[in-house]
Amino acid sequence: MNSTRRDLFIYAGGSAAGALLTPAPWRLITDTALWSENWPGIPSPPRGEIRTKFTNCSVCRAGCAVRARCVGDQPVQLAGVASHPLSHGALCPFGLTAHHLPYHPARLKQGSAEQALAAASAAGGRIAVLDLRPGRTASWTYRRAMAALNGLYVTADQPVAFDLHQAKTVLSLGVPLLDGWGTPGNVWAARPGFRLIQAEAIESRTAALADVWLPIQPGTEEALALAIGNAIQHGKADDERALSLANELTHNGPALVLDNSGSAAVMALNQLLGAAGHTMVARPEAPVPDSWQKAVLATGLAQIEDRSISVLLIDESAVDRYLPWHTIERKLVRDNPVVVTFASSRGGYARHARFALPTAVYPEFAEDIPTAIDSPAATFRISTPLAAPPPGMVNPAEFIATLADLPKSDALRERADAIHQAGRGTVFTPADGKTVAVKSLTAEVFWKSLSEAGCWIDEPGHGRAPQAEPRPYLPPSEPGSGGLPLVALLATPQAPPLISPLMTKLYQESNLRLAPNRVALNPSEARAARLEDGAHAFLETHLGKCGVEVSVDAAVPAGMVLVGTAPGILDVCGPAARAKVVAA
Amino acid sequence: MISANKPTKAARYGMTIDVDRCNGCGACMVACAVENNVPPLPQANDRKGLTWIRVYKVDNGQRTAYVPVMCQHCGADTPCVSVCPQHAVDIDPATGIVGEMPQRCLGCRYCMAACPYHARYFNWWDPEWPQGMEKALNPGVTPRMRGVAEKCNFCHGRWHAAKQQAAANGQPDGPVSYTPACVEACPTGAIRFGDLNDTTDPVAQAAKTSGSFRLLETLGTEPKVYYQSKRDWVRAIASAPRPGLGKENSRG
Repeated sequence: MNSTRRDLFIYAGGSAAGALLTPAPWRLITDTALWSENWPGIPSPPRGEIRTKFTNCSVCRAGCAVRARCVGDQPVQLAGVASHPLSHGALCPFGLTAHHLPYHPARLKQGSAEQALAAASAAGGRIAVLDLRPGRTASWTYRRAMAALNGLYVTADQPVAFDLHQAKTVLSLGVPLLDGWGTPGNVWAARPGFRLIQAEAIESRTAALADVWLPIQPGTEEALALAIGNAIQHGKADDERALSLANELTHNGPALVLDNSGSAAVMALNQLLGAAGHTMVARPEAPVPDSWQKAVLATGLAQIEDRSISVLLIDESAVDRYLPWHTIERKLVRDNPVVVTFASSRGGYARHARFALPTAVYPEFAEDIPTAIDSPAATFRISTPLAAPPPGMVNPAEFIATLADLPKSDALRERADAIHQAGRGTVFTPADGKTVAVKSLTAEVFWKSLSEAGCWIDEPGHGRAPQAEPRPYLPPSEPGSGGLPLVALLATPQAPPLISPLMTKLYQESNLRLAPNRVALNPSEARAARLEDGAHAFLETHLGKCGVEVSVDAAVPAGMVLVGTAPGILDVCGPAARAKVVAA
Repeated sequence: MISANKPTKAARYGMTIDVDRCNGCGACMVACAVENNVPPLPQANDRKGLTWIRVYKVDNGQRTAYVPVMCQHCGADTPCVSVCPQHAVDIDPATGIVGEMPQRCLGCRYCMAACPYHARYFNWWDPEWPQGMEKALNPGVTPRMRGVAEKCNFCHGRWHAAKQQAAANGQPDGPVSYTPACVEACPTGAIRFGDLNDTTDPVAQAAKTSGSFRLLETLGTEPKVYYQSKRDWVRAIASAPRPGLGKENSRG
């Protein structure tokens, strides 16, 4: 029989079709999955001895206690310490992922400290330090250095602390009380004891869990506080809502009123409610050595004469509150000021500084954390390093101490000794979960406890009433002014300057939180501006404009824009500012 | 994945999530990603992201609530198990945990289509971490490769560690007590985890309270994640196809 070419094709086709009925090809498909498992691009997790270390988180001033799971010396997982008397085992998302900060691609890694030191030394005129997290031991170094250099120590701190555990009613004027305002564990521990009234333009995370959410116009917080104060004093008010709140605050006390700026009206209202000295005290600080008392006092930025500072040193390594650059820039001399910033990324003041010096990030360096806003008793905690910093990092306190020719010393140890000498309070050690009186410890043992992430807590009853400086009340601008149709709402809480790359899970992969570089618009506003979700746009205010990405969110009321808290946005947009979003 | 020896007493691990305590902070989401070596995906959006647990913002037009949703570990007619052509998904009879074996996964995504809770995610990209950050990975969990589906497994690595510890302590059989990463991380204590078979377990007791409900209960998949809320409208959303969104299957 002759085989034709056609027969060959029929045979081959039949064989191929028949093979499909056998397990062989299907097995090959399975095997492709197995081959892909062994791609060399998949990283290998570290290997080594598993250890547990403790530290205190210094991402914000809450200073939550941290239990770190380490492979060798490398932290791979962070968790809270359940038995801690202040943080109660809680950590926020920023703290949970903070061991990734050293690897952030945007981390600042280079900068010449020698050149910056030479320029700062050579420049004449007035010198100032801007401290964005006052109350640290480093802050005292700055104050002593400025005393030696006849300079200014500048802060923007709210100098009060609150005791939520003693309060029965809390009126929060836009404060992210349940979402990053204070120590998360402490706030949640106190939460069952008070009724929360959240007055805020948008239903924030705090408003969502408040007992009452009171929608108000942005920028009217201080006016509401004034109206409530008037209602308490005179028993009547034009605003029915203020009268009702006044009744509730006075009849269900102790009551507290909180706001984001520490406004005079809110301070006065707390005085009226009897909170001052009880549930609201001046921000307490741990004792310091007597020799440090010759330091300069803190000055507010507003109190400084315009165009008077020649050399400005900004400690941006720990930021609690970002001050818009235009408020700082107007204090600098016009002619070639020397601005040195100590920063972990280029996103903040480094954009404007002549010298941007890289600093170590948490958890790479030892630093104490000042008393949290929700702690009426002074505390002292050290953020014990869990990893070594890369070479070339600059310690701001050492830099400024060198500039002022301060003698070299171990300031943390000196302060710990001063606390021990005062003999007050207790220290909690996370490794064994025990709390002991300071009196019963030697100075050496006390220092060892603090070095192992211990937490010193002062005795209660040392709180004093805050000294509030009255400030004039400025009513918000009229709607529609300046051709800017929207009113800006600042997203809360403010994100730290450097966050874990893993936060894309919240900012981008789920849109659970508004990313710092984004603004959110109501769908109708977005349509009117011809903007879609994810579009690039400009946020315009009377201070300038800034590039942003757009989110469309029906929860944002019409006529408003919710803005992220990236420094670039905060430079042009404050709370309740008039704004416009236009397509890029 | 499946225990080799038949356990003397099987556990049925489950969760209760108090929606009235969830403030939507996202700590559970990032803690899960740290524990399970889920990579950051700066190129992804909310459709292609990898979030084994995702907190959805839901509202009734007036008030808002936050609902964490992860694999519900269906106990009956488990949709992803029944559709997987590779047998890459199974239910461990010793724990009740619906597990996933990435080595077997073909990447067909039938399981994602079948899952009524949209709780399964696909690796669209190679797993990549910023330079140096791979040193901070959890050594207890292997990163998965591009082209496979993945999902919550109630921190199976932690279960293994607890099981080993129990065996070292002379108790090789029976359920063990452990805590998944999201439960440990929740700063408000909204998420709790326990053995639903153990009537003395507070989680098993809480699952049976009157305010307790499960997502899409009418499907009969017997999820092992129970939610709690005192708000009627929050309970009502449990029957919606996907919390917070009108359209289905918007991801992947």
